[in-house]
Amino acid sequence: MKKIIALMSCVFGLFVFVNIYHEPQVNAAEKTYTIGTDVTFPPFVYANSDNKYVGIDMDLIRAIAKKEGFKAEIKPLGFNAAVQSLSSGQIDGVIAGMTITDERRQKFDFSTPYYKSGIVMAVAPKGDIKGLKDLKGKRVAVKTGTAGATYANSIKDRYGFKTVTFDDSDNVYNDVKNGNSAACFDDSAVLNYGVKTGLGLKIVTKPTDIGSYGFAVEKGKNKELMSKFNSGLKKLKANGEYAKIIEKYTGESATAAQKKNSTQANAEGHTFFGLIKQNRDSIIDGIFETIKLTVVSIICATIFGVLIGLLGVLPSKLARGTSTTIIYIFRGLPLLVLALFIYNGVPSLTGSKVPAFVAGIITLTLNEGAYTAAFVKGGIQAVDTGQMEAARSLGLPFGKSMRKVILPQGIKIMIPSFINQFIITLKDTSILSIIGILELTQTGKIIIARNLEGFKIWTIIALIYLIIITVLTLLSKWVERRIND
Amino acid sequence: MKNTKVKVTNLKKNFGSNHVLKGIDFEVAQNEVVVLIGPSGSGKSTLLRCLNRLEDPTSGSVVIDGNDISDSKTNIDQARENIGMVFQHFNLFNNLTVGQNVELAPVELGKLSKSEAVTMAKKLLDTVGLDDKYDAMPQSLSGGQKQRVAIARALAMNPDIMLFDEPTSALDPEMVGDVLEVMKDLAKKGMTMVVVTHEMGFAKEVADRVVFMADGKVMEEGKPEEVFGNPQNERTKTFLQKVINV
Ligand SMILES: Nc1ncnc2c1ncn2[C@@H]1O[C@H](COP(=O)(O)OP(=O)(O)OP(=O)(O)O)[C@@H](O)[C@H]1O
Ligand SMILES: [Mg+2]
Repeated sequence: MKKIIALMSCVFGLFVFVNIYHEPQVNAAEKTYTIGTDVTFPPFVYANSDNKYVGIDMDLIRAIAKKEGFKAEIKPLGFNAAVQSLSSGQIDGVIAGMTITDERRQKFDFSTPYYKSGIVMAVAPKGDIKGLKDLKGKRVAVKTGTAGATYANSIKDRYGFKTVTFDDSDNVYNDVKNGNSAACFDDSAVLNYGVKTGLGLKIVTKPTDIGSYGFAVEKGKNKELMSKFNSGLKKLKANGEYAKIIEKYTGESATAAQKKNSTQANAEGHTFFGLIKQNRDSIIDGIFETIKLTVVSIICATIFGVLIGLLGVLPSKLARGTSTTIIYIFRGLPLLVLALFIYNGVPSLTGSKVPAFVAGIITLTLNEGAYTAAFVKGGIQAVDTGQMEAARSLGLPFGKSMRKVILPQGIKIMIPSFINQFIITLKDTSILSIIGILELTQTGKIIIARNLEGFKIWTIIALIYLIIITVLTLLSKWVERRIND
Repeated sequence: MKNTKVKVTNLKKNFGSNHVLKGIDFEVAQNEVVVLIGPSGSGKSTLLRCLNRLEDPTSGSVVIDGNDISDSKTNIDQARENIGMVFQHFNLFNNLTVGQNVELAPVELGKLSKSEAVTMAKKLLDTVGLDDKYDAMPQSLSGGQKQRVAIARALAMNPDIMLFDEPTSALDPEMVGDVLEVMKDLAKKGMTMVVVTHEMGFAKEVADRVVFMADGKVMEEGKPEEVFGNPQNERTKTFLQKVINV
């Protein structure tokens, strides 16, 4: 019992540590705001070759923060996750090339527009699609939740095409390039920039006037941040800094340099080793985040699972019912739904933020813990009932009989299931990329968003997972041998 | 009349709609050896298991040494310390050595120190003829050896009463003798015993009283020579004919 308590307090300590670690200290003078953004939306936001987030939006928010004296903590969550996190109050603002629309105004307050954009259609350069009329019966790629998607959906019946939705811009472009989709719709600034820097697509329509980009906060909240943004933007426009930033990312010299860069990177980065070398730091960070998630959630899920499993073999009907219910619920919920529910759903109900890492740990603890509880219960029930009867007939109380006789035998039965569950937990951490945790899978997505080397990067990521799984398996087998001796 | 050790009054036990014990009245005196016989399914095991509350009686009372075992307020763990039980399938603790099997309860319940328990375990294993198996794992023993360890384990708590549920019926014939020998020694030393068995030879030689059960009721009881030599009840007669013919 003492050991269990010690272990529990360790884990609790870890939780607290993780919490503090993820919640940057608030400086008395400088207020910190968490700003969500997209993973890749050049020239507004993208990771450069040093894995720094740059682009018009990034430079703007940083410059404004400096002018107005606050700190902006940038969270590249992906457009969709960023918007959801904003509406559930997980983050303070979003700047992600977000078009101001009436529909969005229902939920968000927007700043004065900082960029005027429109929607254009891009196609593969060699194809025979020349305009909207050629799309009849074809497939069109769009990105979830963007103004491009809204526009495409509004005209698809008129022109007789179907839309297919992706989470990342590069998946959209790739789908057009490899011919699966006939065209894509996106903001003109983005596609213009892409075409100029060698994206390999061709723009065939004039921009439709659909409005401008704005910085967004949750409706009626964060008024202070909003007024700081507006006043900062005004100052930048007045002193010429704004024009410089726009020129930096869209001017001829900038795009030419970027084009040269990307061809250069392509030349040396075509090989696996080149790709690993280029992205070494972000891959290592991703590996560490994955390992951290795995280790913490294995510990928490095991403790939770063992407790719930033990509850399921107590003589009390209430205890057994509780155990069965918990197992039923958390084994039944898809991990993805559970993650989104805890990260986005719960905070929008209670109003308190849950850091993504903690939400991830809670998700895995509940889900993997439910599976663990089920086999812990099963393992104990698999021990011959005569063992318990013999122990009880000697006068040993239930708890002592459990600990000295039943559990040692049950654990042997459970060990293979434990090892199996550890490996599943490791693999399931990849699902947490949905809530923007920068673990290995999310890292892969971001790298691909930049260099479009899908096949090679996913191969590298897959190999890394296999290596970690092998190490984890060997470690578990070693522990198993120690226990069995 | 000798001291009453066990007093069972109008004991009933149902498993759902299956009425297994239909009102048993049954007594065991101090130092007495009672052998329970009866056809399969007559409720012998159930009666025995009600004596240490491995089964909860549906109604009626079981009083041992003045303790009402069937009362839920009774500290059943404490009561069980004085009631040893030996099972048909031994139920040795598979995760512990022979020595640890014997030492576990006295040490865990604070009756003996670890070193006292070791001395006691070795002595008990010696009396059942297994002093060389102290470090063996139960899986490596024969059935007869396992059952003798199980007896030693039950004796380690120094009980006043021993319950045996068909202790030899899972054994190869050549092993039966060793186990019965140990039980006879116990009886000679004055242990109060309730034994469910089909070993009629043992019953004749050792039992002070034989109780015949059928259909959840006590049909007949008496000294072995009375019950075996001159059974009064029809059910007893048919049962004994079958058993003896086998
Ligand atoms: N845990 C239980 N749940 C339901 N029914 C039970 C349970 N234990 C025993 N029974 C039933 O009670 C009846 C008597 O069983 P019991 O084991 O007491 O008989 P027995 O006289 O010991 O027979 P045997 O000589 O075969 O061991 C049987 O019909 C059996 O099916
Ligand atoms: Mg029986």
